[in-house]
Amino acid sequence: MDFSRYRKRSPWILHYNAGSCNGCDIEILAALSPRYDLERFGVLNSGNPKQSDIFLVTGPVTYRSRERLVELYNQMPEPKVVIALGSCTCTGGVFRGMYNVEDGIDRYIPVDVYIPGCAASPELIIDGVVQALDILEKKTKERENAKRLYSEPTTENGITDRSNSAQKIGTGGFSPEEMKPNSPERRENEED
Amino acid sequence: MKKIETTLESVVSDLTAFYDYKVWEFLTLNGVAIDEGTTEIQWIFSRYGAIDDVVIYYAPVKNSETVPSVVDLIPSAIISQREIVDMFGITVENSEKGLYLDEDSLSAPLATCRI
Amino acid sequence: MGRKIIDIPLGSQHISLLEPIKFRFACENEKIVDVSSDVGFVHRGIEKACTTKFAYDAVPYVVARICGLCAITHSLAYTTAAESLLEGVVTRRAKYLRMLLVELDRIHSHMLCLSHTAENAGFEAMFMRIMGDRESVMDIQERITGNRVQFDYVSIGGVNRDITTDIEKEIRKTLAFIREKTHGYLEEFTTNWSLSLKFKGVGVLTLDEAYRYNAIGPLARAAGLATDVRSETDYLPYNEIGYEMRVGEGGDIYSRNIVRLFEILNSITMCENILGGLPEGEIQTKMKGKPTGEALVRLEAPRGELMYYIRGEGKAMLSRVRIKTPTFASIPAFIEVFKGSEYADAPAILASFDPCMSCTAK
Repeated sequence: MDFSRYRKRSPWILHYNAGSCNGCDIEILAALSPRYDLERFGVLNSGNPKQSDIFLVTGPVTYRSRERLVELYNQMPEPKVVIALGSCTCTGGVFRGMYNVEDGIDRYIPVDVYIPGCAASPELIIDGVVQALDILEKKTKERENAKRLYSEPTTENGITDRSNSAQKIGTGGFSPEEMKPNSPERRENEED
Repeated sequence: MKKIETTLESVVSDLTAFYDYKVWEFLTLNGVAIDEGTTEIQWIFSRYGAIDDVVIYYAPVKNSETVPSVVDLIPSAIISQREIVDMFGITVENSEKGLYLDEDSLSAPLATCRI
Repeated sequence: MGRKIIDIPLGSQHISLLEPIKFRFACENEKIVDVSSDVGFVHRGIEKACTTKFAYDAVPYVVARICGLCAITHSLAYTTAAESLLEGVVTRRAKYLRMLLVELDRIHSHMLCLSHTAENAGFEAMFMRIMGDRESVMDIQERITGNRVQFDYVSIGGVNRDITTDIEKEIRKTLAFIREKTHGYLEEFTTNWSLSLKFKGVGVLTLDEAYRYNAIGPLARAAGLATDVRSETDYLPYNEIGYEMRVGEGGDIYSRNIVRLFEILNSITMCENILGGLPEGEIQTKMKGKPTGEALVRLEAPRGELMYYIRGEGKAMLSRVRIKTPTFASIPAFIEVFKGSEYADAPAILASFDPCMSCTAK
């Protein structure tokens, strides 16, 4: 079944606190509550990394949360978008240079959206998530039209034929003649 | 705030004589780095229902010495003992490392307060 | 059935947790027999940074970043300690404004905890209702201070902004609204079966255990232990503004909720009295010199007693800042409550403690 149509309409959020002060976390809750109502974009806060599309991280990454952060990121299925929420998540903020802190999550995982603010207001969180939805759609499209490097090998009379699959990749600008291992043109090129 | 000096040998007996769990609230265990290699350990109590009645027992501790555990007397001291072990790099009876710090963290961050 | 003991972890990342904390429950069938906890996920090293990176007059804004929910209590406790070392006197107006913000903070923090408890009971609609009403408190905080959460309102010598009659009118309106809503919650929390009957007798902390494990805050008061730093200190004139201690009985989740609800009502009354009796005067006094000596200050944060111990040696940098946060001191009591409970109740019990891990690990 093709889920890509529905992914933009209902992206699920995974939230992880990697050492923040709790301020941004309650602003996420506030953004999900009726006043700001992030859920009108179909966003649902889920606790399961394997069902989530958007990874919302707060905090400057403490030493003990490094492993969990990367583990949660790896468990999320592609395509996924990472949002760094709050000043300390983007750069380390007020915690920059403290002994148990890495300065910002982009030392560990790739970040798509940075939301500044200490604490980031719910309006900014909504803006960031909406931006993330666009990025998620773009990433979904990229995956659909991904360049195929190999075509499927064909099977005739029980013999698997892989000769066509290599040709379909293209010859990279060389003519088929040049691609032969011992062709004179090729040898000349190599000598240059 | 009343400060009473004690020593490592006598702290358990002093606290046993002093601490009545229905009168005194154990606040926390505190450490202050005095100079290189010496830490002042404080046991801080406050009286229930009284205005600003805080009593601090304190003892200087060398880093090679072992601080006796008061968990038998004050069960809630267990977590602050573990914190002191991490933060000052001293040893406390029956308290293991690793409440806050990992293997690659800075060890004993508060042991010396160089400015 | 055999008597096999199984380890079940909760955390560090879990849907019912706002913050990372890890518990490992040793369960015999459904009963929890032993608990071990790991609370160090949020350790940043603020105590050291306060003595090496930031001068003493910048520290109020750094310690506010320990916790977003009780930021005002952190900076206020530190400021009070620093002011006692500088031997400065704060004007009465500044003290009243500080109390106003502390009580507003308590109201919205308790509302967050109640909504979280309701969510853990599976009562999603109640969660949304309380969170929606909580926004009005956040609004007046924004009007007074300029920011919703990390408002650096308190500074050494006083407060950073004054309130005007416009704002005062708005606060009164909001307080009346919240009072009406809180009476509604009180009815809901006492009569609705999923919030009252389900929570009675669950997660019990007895009075003797509360004494023994030094429980503090609403956790202790729900168990019948009459301890509240607001009545045990005199930096802030709480006796002038109608503070009443509310002690519950039973020590279960239900009792904690009721204690919190009555504290919200009491805080609303206090805020109204503050506005009624707000003294005229300046909001800032100049403080001279550098902190010398040691000071210990205790304040009642929404979750219980907060203690600051600072020591200065006449330099711009302090030589020690010790922060004892409410949740940190309550962890032995938490573990005691978990023992003997059902595993299925664990998230609800944990939510009823209103734990704050950012405070705990600093």
